Amino acid sequence: MVILLSGISVFCFAASYTIALVFEVAGLWVRFGWHRAAMLVMAVAGLLAHTLYLASISNKDVAILGSAENWYLVVAWVLAAFYLWVVFTSPGSAMGLFVLPLVLAIIAFAEGASHEPFAEQRASEFWSGLHGTLMMLATVTVCVGFAAGLMYLIQSWRLKHKLPATPRFRLPSLEWLERTNSRSLGISAVLVAGGFLSGIVLSRIRHGGEADYRLLADPVVLSLLVMLVWLVAAELFRLWYPAARTGRKVAYLTLASFGFLVITLITFTVTDIHGTPPANAGRRDAVTLQATSGLPCSAKPTTNRSANNDVEIQA
Amino acid sequence: MNLRMVGCTHHESNIAVRERLAFTPDQAADALATWRASHPDVEAVLLSTCNRVELYAATAGDGPPPNESMVAEYLTGWHSIPLEEVAGHLVSLDGRAVVEHLFRVAASLDSMVVGEPQILAQVKQAYELACELGSAGPHMHGCFQAALRVARRVTGETSLHRHRVSIPSVAIADFAGRIFETFDDKHVLVIGAGEMADETLRYLQDAGARRFTLLNRDPKRAEALATEWNATVAPWGELHQQLVRADLVISTTGAGHPIVTLDYFRKQIAAERKQRPLFILDLALPRDFEPSIGDELGTYLYSIDDLSLACEQNRKSRERELPRAEHIISDETVRFLTDARMQTSSPLIVQLREEWDVVKQAELARLMNKLGDVDESTRQEVIRFADRLMNKLLHPPIQSLRDEAERDNHRGLLEALRRLFQLRE
Repeated sequence: MVILLSGISVFCFAASYTIALVFEVAGLWVRFGWHRAAMLVMAVAGLLAHTLYLASISNKDVAILGSAENWYLVVAWVLAAFYLWVVFTSPGSAMGLFVLPLVLAIIAFAEGASHEPFAEQRASEFWSGLHGTLMMLATVTVCVGFAAGLMYLIQSWRLKHKLPATPRFRLPSLEWLERTNSRSLGISAVLVAGGFLSGIVLSRIRHGGEADYRLLADPVVLSLLVMLVWLVAAELFRLWYPAARTGRKVAYLTLASFGFLVITLITFTVTDIHGTPPANAGRRDAVTLQATSGLPCSAKPTTNRSANNDVEIQA
Repeated sequence: MNLRMVGCTHHESNIAVRERLAFTPDQAADALATWRASHPDVEAVLLSTCNRVELYAATAGDGPPPNESMVAEYLTGWHSIPLEEVAGHLVSLDGRAVVEHLFRVAASLDSMVVGEPQILAQVKQAYELACELGSAGPHMHGCFQAALRVARRVTGETSLHRHRVSIPSVAIADFAGRIFETFDDKHVLVIGAGEMADETLRYLQDAGARRFTLLNRDPKRAEALATEWNATVAPWGELHQQLVRADLVISTTGAGHPIVTLDYFRKQIAAERKQRPLFILDLALPRDFEPSIGDELGTYLYSIDDLSLACEQNRKSRERELPRAEHIISDETVRFLTDARMQTSSPLIVQLREEWDVVKQAELARLMNKLGDVDESTRQEVIRFADRLMNKLLHPPIQSLRDEAERDNHRGLLEALRRLFQLRE
């Protein structure tokens, strides 16, 4: 079992999802008798490999949401599972054309993201887990809303132009898409708010004693705050302006939310400040570990930088 | 095969003849019960729909197909219609042609609107009724069960049934169905009371719509339609309120000019609707809604011309699917007939196997005696060898028999086998 798990790489499931996407795209023009079966086999194989990969990394020293790379992979896994659920419950739907590219893009983000674990402190384990989970669910929800918004605009455009339905490109009804859009917007606002608040608590625990620490100096926190403000504004807009609860306006709101999400994710991926321990944390953790376990301090060297002074820390 | 079908379809007879020969479900039950009493040795299934009245009959055992005039006389006699009056409209098929015809009917290839889905349920109901009354026997079970399987195969392997071709069905399934997820909570407003409105309401009701409001200048006509569709009637003066409330509008008035202009819609209706999706099906000629209303946010307006294009595309798509469907029918007919013929050969094959098995057992017993004390695994290996040898020797004659059965030439080979291996009758 261990050998099997160690043989699975990101390439395995990324390739499976890519082939499933190729089948989805090819299905727009030509479909064979085994088309759907082949697509399903690739998607299921991808999700299985993805699951085994996540299981294998959860056995290592880094927790499942404990690094930026893992966090992205979990987001991609949830989206891939959502795709499979749609494929089984609504056969013939063209959902894969919208969700699979998102899955692959997020896997690409994972490859570009830091492999280093986030700072760990026993006191903040709960808040770290909560923050990571809420942000992961918020990302998935915004992605689902984005896919639904895009599908709404395409479906609406096709209906306005009197284009008949084709079995090769079937989208859900506008009513379903609008409902999914509205829900994803509302739920993502709540999740982002929860993620942001848990993040504040986390930073208080980690950096509470640092006189020169400034929360908004972290570009990820700043972009997340902007996204939260946008989501809250969008929700208020929908509450006060009834026309924004239906039709294309909701779709535009979810597309814009996705734009804010992409900015936040790029900031999260490009900068490696977010989630790093404070300047003196390495020494403090090592001392704590030594004191509690009686073992000599042997923390591995990292290349993390503190938020404020770019000083290299060698633990 | 000893099958016979006599009946009339929309191909050969007009609606007046079909109406005279049609059976209601109760009449069909009576007719089958009477048939069973008067012809206990002949199986029967009666299929009666708007487009066809067909009586399928099969002689029990290996006898010839039921007599054509006997079946025709029963069909017409039940309605007290002289056979000569409708003889020119009746069709009679036997053997293979019956199987092929039934498969085509069940798969909706013989329907007036090719690919319409109701016929499969009607074939199933006709067969179930015959089963209930005991008029269906082994031949009818085989034929009708195969027909239902073939129809499902055609549905699954071709997209023939997915392409609708009538304007109301395309409007509801291909357009309204892409706007609304469910119809049971939607307000349907019908303006005018034309024939097309009636047909559209039928499709909407099938899709789950329950809340209908009728608006017509002539309240009497509206009342009549309202009774039929369990709808409410609103006075013509309520057009504004009804348009604000409606989710779907079907308009079929005979007005000579648009009853809803862009200016009126924009200023009076759109503002109050707050961009709630509105599906408008304008079936009137000249049109009741100004075409530019379709450009308004959340409004999806379709006229007959818009839908004709979709219907034509669907018709072409169906035509492209037809050869595949016909191929399936042809394949399945050959398979069914081959299986049926092989069933008549099966007693001989069983007999051949049994006789060879006797020889095999005797030779095995002799060999085991000669070998003396052998271990169990060797003994099993020898038995397996004998089984395999017998199966391999029997395979070529059985396969040849199947090949000949496929071409309906198997009787000579059966006789040859019987004589070669000295099998009894």
